[in-house]
Amino acid sequence: MSALPHSGDATTPPAVTRIEHTRLARPNGWWGMAIFVATEATLFGTLIGTYYYLRFNNAHWPPPDVPEPKLTLPLVLTGILVATSLPMQLAVSAAGRGRLVTARVALLVAVVVQAGYLGMQLHLFVHDVHEFPPSRSSYSSIYFTMLGGHHLHVGIGVLLNVWLLLRTATGLTTYRMNALRATAFYWHFVNILALCVVGTQLSPRA
Amino acid sequence: MATTVTEPGLKRVERLERIWVEPRGVLGWLTTTDHKRIGLLYFFTTLAFFGAGGIEALLIRTQLAEPNAKVLSPETYDQLMTMHGVTMIFLFVIPMSLGAFGNYLIPLMIGARDMAFPRMNALSYWLFLASGLFMYASVFLHAAPNAGWFDYVPLALKQYDPGRNIDFYALGLIFNGISSTAAAINFIVTIFKLRAPGMSMNRMPLFCFAMLAVSLSLIFALPSLTIDLVYLELQRNLGFHFFDVAHGGDPLLWQHLFWLFGHPEVYIIILPAFGIATSIIPTFSKRKMIAFPLVALAELLVAFIGFGVWAHHMFATGLPTITLVFFAAASMMVVIPSAIQIFAWTVTVALGRPEFRTPLLFIGGFILLFVIGGLSGIMFAAIPFDQATTDTYFVVAHFHFIIFGAAVFPILGGFYYWFPKITGRLYHEGLGKLSFWLTFLGTALTFFPMHILGLIGMPRRVYTYPSSLGWGPYNLSETVGAFILTAGLLVIFGNLVWSRFRGPPAGPDPWHGGTLEWATTSPPPPYNFPVIPVVTSAYPNWDRDDRRADAGRLERGELVLDEGHETPASTVVDAVPDEVVEMPGESPWPLAVALCTALLFVMLLTRHYAVAGIFAAMTLLAVAAWHSQEPQEQ
Repeated sequence: MSALPHSGDATTPPAVTRIEHTRLARPNGWWGMAIFVATEATLFGTLIGTYYYLRFNNAHWPPPDVPEPKLTLPLVLTGILVATSLPMQLAVSAAGRGRLVTARVALLVAVVVQAGYLGMQLHLFVHDVHEFPPSRSSYSSIYFTMLGGHHLHVGIGVLLNVWLLLRTATGLTTYRMNALRATAFYWHFVNILALCVVGTQLSPRA
Repeated sequence: MATTVTEPGLKRVERLERIWVEPRGVLGWLTTTDHKRIGLLYFFTTLAFFGAGGIEALLIRTQLAEPNAKVLSPETYDQLMTMHGVTMIFLFVIPMSLGAFGNYLIPLMIGARDMAFPRMNALSYWLFLASGLFMYASVFLHAAPNAGWFDYVPLALKQYDPGRNIDFYALGLIFNGISSTAAAINFIVTIFKLRAPGMSMNRMPLFCFAMLAVSLSLIFALPSLTIDLVYLELQRNLGFHFFDVAHGGDPLLWQHLFWLFGHPEVYIIILPAFGIATSIIPTFSKRKMIAFPLVALAELLVAFIGFGVWAHHMFATGLPTITLVFFAAASMMVVIPSAIQIFAWTVTVALGRPEFRTPLLFIGGFILLFVIGGLSGIMFAAIPFDQATTDTYFVVAHFHFIIFGAAVFPILGGFYYWFPKITGRLYHEGLGKLSFWLTFLGTALTFFPMHILGLIGMPRRVYTYPSSLGWGPYNLSETVGAFILTAGLLVIFGNLVWSRFRGPPAGPDPWHGGTLEWATTSPPPPYNFPVIPVVTSAYPNWDRDDRRADAGRLERGELVLDEGHETPASTVVDAVPDEVVEMPGESPWPLAVALCTALLFVMLLTRHYAVAGIFAAMTLLAVAAWHSQEPQEQ
């Protein structure tokens, strides 16, 4: 038992790789993120539940003076966002094998796409708020609350990725590796969430 | 550590002392990441809130002591009643059991040197303190929440409650929820990952099972409260529509989401009490808990079933019959895991050689009060009975038997039980027994007549009542009971304060407890254990050979981890040691993050949204600064 690996001592890519290979269980940071994601999923479950609760309480959904939700653009944007799960996972596996440069390039690609998505979505959000403000009906209230909640999560994810890019500029440690793994997990969750949110909001078109 | 420690062992202990020492004085407390100090901070803070909630209760009882009393104005009564509920639930019971007991004991019980995320642990505390002060600021501004702790709409909407009262409530509880979520994540990961080598899931103390169940409940229950409160704030301050029928909303949406949180919350309150009971009973019965795996499963099952019963708080709101029947059946099911535990506790005492010291007396009181409160609880699962008694004092009687009798009694017993561990001194046994009887009689006298009052028709949430209805004598006895209860509590705290300074030395293990906290010195050193214990059963401190083996490993330097601020991490189910993780030491950033968050909430309350944005950015910057200091760099 005295041969237990000291993960704190791993401050170079090869050392981090060794820890990654000897570890039997996922690190604490991954578990922390997994449980955080569980509570966040419940949060969005509640939002989606509210959407349908209100929908079944209203004869007209969306109300007559609100345009039907647009179909093509939200779906295309969501598809693009979901695709960033690939470079995120690539970054994790590359860093785990000690290829820091590849990992950082993948991370950069992901964050550029994600930030572009967020910018586009915020533009649409502001446009929609002018068209049917949340103070008009319960439909627009839950519509913007749910959408705003999702955009906030994308924004946090972008900040996390920027942070990882800055931190890994000075090398790789187990601490940063765990952060990268947890952040990638967060992004997979946000991307699944994007599908659930867009599916809910487009449901009146079905 | 009874065996003699030789030169190399002492050297290692000295090295650990140097590595784990924290700054002295106020600065040390402000930057601490030691789970024991954070536990003590939680303890004293929640005790202060308990005092506040208790004073509110006494004022309420004084107002209700006789018909047509004018001690409090109706508006003050509403505020005190609401703050009493909010305080006792969110600022006393949960942070006391999870924050104080959980923090202090879980790492000790599982043989770890700290929590999985020590800095986040400090953050949980500072956020909790700030959220409590935030809510209590309302009392001094005469704008305390005033729509009951359940805060039903439409009463809580702007039209009917135009002041800041409800905003204090909504923002304060969102704020408090952040702290609870962070704490719950920390407990789950600590229990999953930091258990001592050999402490597989089936050897984990039942206390930790209870805390695991509580933490999981919080993770899945708090979001619906948070979202409900966000809706409320959006509707009150930004003109959204969730709860008003005129714009397609529904007032029952509030109740659904509130109780979807609120009922799991009841089990969040009660489960730590079960955990404390399962710690005290084996120690003073001198035998292992019977049906150990069943009790562990029952603890988790209570938490799980808690998510399927919320509508029994809404039987009188006109829900469809099929819904009512489903929730009535689900509510009946709670009886099964509860009964498993009651039988396991009582049979363990019966089969052991019980020694009725003060902690076990409190557990006896707890079982009795829990059975009475449980029986009235089953009555509510019968829909017609519930519809007849809802919103009467019968409900108040039921939940005070559960929340005070069943949840707080084990906490009080736990104060006595772990007092020697935390202070290194013994409490006064005679005064302890006196305090039990006073508290027990006070509780019975305060809350039992409420059943009768409810059945003869006294409604809840009224600030006074006419003399013609014959409610006066019952109310007077309740008020007398409340003061006896207060006297009992004062004897407890007097006993503990006196014993803290004058009590005889306790030694490491005065009760011959079975769990690992008794394997180290009293009070435990900052690093908890000189050598990480290796565990082969659910009651490792009764395995004398294993503890001697620990002492041997200290001599040989195995699993001492005296090269840094370290603790071992294990696999989740089998607790096979996996890696040595570097733990962060003291840090000023948790406090800074909590401060920025508090200012953010103050700005939201005063509707300075732009300034709130600045504080949100500052919070993020502080989080970034915190994480740029990696544990191995300290």
